[in-house]
Formats: sequence, C-alpha cells, structure tokens
Amino acid sequence: MIRKDLLDIESLSRAEIEELLDQAVPFKDLFTRSVKKVPALKGKTVLNLFYEPSTRTLSSFEVAAKRLSADVTNFDVPHSSVVKGESVKDTIDTLQSMRTDYIIVRNKLSGLPGVIARETKASVINAGDGQHAHPTQALLDGFTFREVFPQTDGRRILIVGDILHSRVARSTTNLMRKIGVEVAWLGPGPLVPKHGPKGVRRFTNYEEAMAWAPDVVYLLRVQMERQDVQYFPSLREYHKLYGVTTERFKQIEDNGTYIMHPGPVNRGVELCDAVMDYSKSLINTQVENGIAARMAVLYSLKPGTSEDSAS
Amino acid sequence: MSLLIKKVTIANAGQDEIQLADVWIENGTIKQIGQDLKTSAEREIDGQGKVLLPGMYDMHVHLREPGAEVKETIASGTEAAINGGITGLVMMPNTTPCIDSAAIVRTIREIAAEDSRIPLQIAGSITKGRAGVELSGVDGMRKLGVKMLTDDPSPVADPSVLMRAMEYASELGLFFASHCATPELQNDRAINHGEISYQLGIKGTPACGEEMCIDRDIRLAQHAGAHVHIQHVSTAAGVEIIRQWKARGASVSAEVTPHHLMFDESCIGNYDTNFKVCPPLRLRDDCEALLAGLNDGTIDVIATDHAPHTPFEKLQDFMTAPNGIIGLETALISLFDRFVSEGKLSWSTLAASFSANPRKLMGEAPAVIAEGEAANLVLFDPAGETTFSAANFKSNSQNTPFIDQTLKGAVELVVLGDKTLKA
Repeated sequence: MIRKDLLDIESLSRAEIEELLDQAVPFKDLFTRSVKKVPALKGKTVLNLFYEPSTRTLSSFEVAAKRLSADVTNFDVPHSSVVKGESVKDTIDTLQSMRTDYIIVRNKLSGLPGVIARETKASVINAGDGQHAHPTQALLDGFTFREVFPQTDGRRILIVGDILHSRVARSTTNLMRKIGVEVAWLGPGPLVPKHGPKGVRRFTNYEEAMAWAPDVVYLLRVQMERQDVQYFPSLREYHKLYGVTTERFKQIEDNGTYIMHPGPVNRGVELCDAVMDYSKSLINTQVENGIAARMAVLYSLKPGTSEDSAS
Repeated sequence: MSLLIKKVTIANAGQDEIQLADVWIENGTIKQIGQDLKTSAEREIDGQGKVLLPGMYDMHVHLREPGAEVKETIASGTEAAINGGITGLVMMPNTTPCIDSAAIVRTIREIAAEDSRIPLQIAGSITKGRAGVELSGVDGMRKLGVKMLTDDPSPVADPSVLMRAMEYASELGLFFASHCATPELQNDRAINHGEISYQLGIKGTPACGEEMCIDRDIRLAQHAGAHVHIQHVSTAAGVEIIRQWKARGASVSAEVTPHHLMFDESCIGNYDTNFKVCPPLRLRDDCEALLAGLNDGTIDVIATDHAPHTPFEKLQDFMTAPNGIIGLETALISLFDRFVSEGKLSWSTLAASFSANPRKLMGEAPAVIAEGEAANLVLFDPAGETTFSAANFKSNSQNTPFIDQTLKGAVELVVLGDKTLKA
C-alpha cells in the first residue's frame, strides 16, 4: 500500500482494506507473547493531536505506536478548548516544524484531518473527525467481523442507533460494504438518513430489522451529551424501541447473533446487562483488535511520500 | 472618445434577431449604427465574429470596504467588475460597520466617488447591525440614494420585524431584497441536506428552509404592499413558488447566481471550499429548473453574489471556511461558456437579466445599443478565451471554482460614456 494518509474508508479499495486487515493478524499474535514489541517504527515519532476528549482511542493509538517502538508524544490540547479556525493553519505549521512522522488527529470538524494532511509531509491518521469518518474504528470492526466470519461476502450486519451523527456508522458501513457485507440501519426516524449510500437498507422498526436475519447486530453508543436537541422522547423509549432488551436478548441468543459495540456502552439504553456476559458479544475483542488494526495502519502508511489519499 | 466598431453582432435585451452592423461612438454617445459607415472616428475596431452587449449590471455584490479591505476594496471590486464587463453594481450592507445609517452611506459614497469608475449603488440594511431587531435609519439612507433594503446575507428571522419594516419603508418608496433561509433549519452550514452532506458528515441545510422563507417573504410583502426581490434562488420549488406568486400578480422579482445555474452539490467533492456558498449548491434538477425559470422570465435577474475571501480563510476546513465565491470577473464569461455557446441561453435573455432588468429595478437608465443612446457597452469575443489565473484578477481575492481554468470567451472592451474602461 503506497499511501501517506488514512483519512477515510471511502478512498480505500477492497484490496487495500484486506491488506491492512491481513497485516493486523501477525500483530495480534504478538499480544500473546511475553515481549509485545517489534522494532518496526524505531526512531519514528508519532504525535497524538486530540482536540476532543478521548481515553479509549487515544490509549489504543498510544499502545499501538509503542508496540511498534515509535516515540509517542501527546500534543497538549486543552480538552475544554474549541479550536478556532484561525489557529488550525498555525498549528499545522508548528507541527510541520517538529518533523514528526505520524500525526494522529481527532477533531470535531468534519474534514479537518484532510486539511492537515494537505499541509504536512507527515502521515496523517484520522482518529475521528466530526460526523465524517473514523477509519481505524472501521478497520478494527472489519478485523473483528472477519475473525468470526472469514468469508465476508454475503454476510449481514445491522447497525443500530444514531446513524446520522455517527462517524463510526459512516466508516463501518463503508468498510463492510467494501468487503462484501450487506449493511442495514435501524434507528429513530430523524437519526437514520434518507440519503445514505444506495443499497443500505433502512429500518425504523426493530422486529422488521431482525426479520432481515443479520449475522451481527452492531449497537452504536447513544450520545447522552447530544440530548440537548431531542430526536427521541426519552432514553427509556429508545431502549424499548431500539435497544436489546431482556426479551429481545433471548431471540438474539436463540439465533446465535453476534453483538458489536464501539464502546463505551450505556447499560440499559443500547443493551441490557445480560448482553455484556453473552458468549457472542465481541465488544471486548473489538478493543483488543483496535490495537492490532492501528499497528497495521501505522506500519503500512508511508510518511513523506507524494501520494495523497485526500485526492 | 471616438470609436468605430465594424461589422459587429449587436445584442440587446428583447431583440431576438441578430443585427450585424457598424457602430459609431462619439463623445460618449452612440452616434450612428448602420452598414459600411464612413466616419471620422479616430479608432476603428474589427468587430467581425464579436458581440456588442450592453454593459452588465450586478445587483448583488459584497465589497468588503469598510472593514475587510484585505478581501476587497471599493477600488478593487469595481475594477474587477469592469474586467468582467460589468458597468454598474449594488453593494450589500454587510460591511463593518454595517450599512444601516446615513453616516455610513455618506462615507461609502465619498470613497466611491474617488475610487470607482462605475456607478455604485448602496443597499441599506433592514435592521440595525443586521441583527433582526431594530429598524435601520431608513429615511436618512433613502435621502442619500439608497433604494433597496436587505439584511443579506441573513434573513430577517422574525416575520413581525420584517412586516413592520415593509409597512414603513415601502411608503417611503424603498423596496426589499430577501436572502431567504429559515435559521432554525439552517444550522449555519453551507451545504445542501442530502447525499453529499451525509457523506462528508456535515449537517446540511434542507431546501424546504429556503422555500418556506421565499413564500413567507412574498406573503409579507403582499400584506404590506411592498415589492420584494428574492435573492439567489437555489431550488426548483423556490422557482415554482415565485412563478405561482407572479401568476397571482404579486409584486415580486427574483435573481439567480451563475454558480447556482452551473454547479450542484456533487461539485463539493472532497470538501472543496470554493464550492461553499450560501444558499448551498443543490441538485442537478435544481440547476435545470433555475435555467428554465430564467428563460421563461420567472427569474428576472442574474446577479453574482460576489463574495471575496482570503486564501487563508478558504484553505481552512470546509466547516470553518467562510461562505461565498467571487463572481464579478467570471460571470459573463462562464455564462457564455456554459450556456450561451451551448444554445441554452440567448444573448437577448442574458442582456435582459444581467443588464436591463436589474437596472430597471434599481432605477438606473437602461443600457441599450441604439442610436442616440449613451455609450454603455461591452465588446465580447466568443472565439477568445480567458484564463482565470490569480495574476489576471483585478479582485483582491481569488476564491472561485474557475481558478486556473481557461474558459471560452473574452471581454475585449468596456465603454461607459466617453471613457474606455477596459481596452
């Protein structure tokens, strides 16, 4: 793969995605050894530029980079600060002067990582930009899915929740479709876009969606902090209509349907407690696979090359 | 000035037949039009294959002086207009400070008297600071020549404020221009609500928000007995609403920008901020409905919504970058390239919508190519071409989708009165 940046899933080919997923396999094997480190990125610098609070993704990238022997720096962006447009270009110039090899960026502005990628020689990895993309989440989801279903073509995944505002839903939908998985969406009317990619089924009724017989039900996190604008009347009503309730869990168990969730879960909203102990819940596997997938991305990108995935 | 243009094609508003003749201009007046004229003109130009148009008139221009002169000044903006074949314009009130009182109108008039070689009208704001609450100093501005009030690039969100403004100012002889949008549905994002906004993860502006406001503002104007001019219509249903109100006899006019005629939301591609405009680019069907509306007279006016911004601002991410693109220098040439040369728009309709109609609305003397008329004309070369490189712009800004592109057509000569503005 000759690619400087990873900005989204849309611009990746199926072959590139599978190359990345294949690359993650030996990295995951590494985790069972006593020394979990390889010297692949020795002497390289990785800069974490997180403008949005994140513990899980930030730690995952940090562990991934360290297991590749890279030096990791966390650029100190106060969590409270809203990045002013004026300062972004100046920040990029500063970063360029630091000559880091990789910049991992998370920001609330959709499209911002592409601007940084355009202005710097470093490899830019999008760790989530606004509602646009979260490509490493999609890769770890794809990796997890493929571990369970090595033949991905024709399999089915149902993504449930706030599709509209979710960069995870966008990227994971794109990736799953690219590896031949059929995708359907389920959620409250205002949160399931009518202008999604052609071929994605749109459900607003749980029973109808389950009748479609998905192999995996992927529950999105309900963003509590987004409840200032009302898209559904209450969390209680959300759980009843779209959540995996105790009654619905029985059906899922009977069907042997797998459960995924990007975390962190809201118990009693997206799912009932019992799901967390379900043998076919892949939620913790996703976290572990996230490190392997991110190692594969860091390992595969080519900093300072002229090819630009933004184009 | 003394000039003879030989064997040129003459295009006027409302004249569909093509007239091929010699045109003699003497001392700022078209002295004679005829075949094989023998004149004492000092300069002779071969007009064969070229088109002589009335000077264009742009009734929707954002000059940034006072307040943001790095983007545009009255001098640079009016020179950009001339470069694009435009011989008169109306500047919008969203300068800093806002044009909401006689004092600021007076200041701008003084600057324009020094710096502009073309007539410049000033639109006043409807409300103070364009804040949508208190009425601007309407009568003071009127006495200094203001004819049109608008809060562009914002709507007056509260209908009761707009209704009162219309009831008051229409009695003083002013008319209104509306930037139509419903703020509660707009989310301040200049991207259409649809496929592209979903892909890019940006909350879009639905077409219905603009359409509701078009209907609302025409209804308010009807109630108040005012004339309302709907600015930069962008949707097919918007055109249809105006068509229906015109059929009912409402006092309404409407404009469309070249970019809404030419581009759709898919042009934004991977966050290209040179396609970030407000109202946003819509769908291909909307472009076609807008062109049909222009051709059947539902839309009276072409106006550019010339909105200069610095490269620094436009190089930011799509959400942060400001709305708008420049249009004064690209409008006539791109309209020729995309529509006239393709047979989709006649020279006559172009002359009507980009010269005669806006001049009439703004109370300006018409620009007509006829004997005895004041010279106000543009010589256009359809066989020529124009490259929109940064160095070729007179504008202080270059935020346009046409940057570094070469289009068919060239503005060769611009004459206003006894002055050759562009040679």
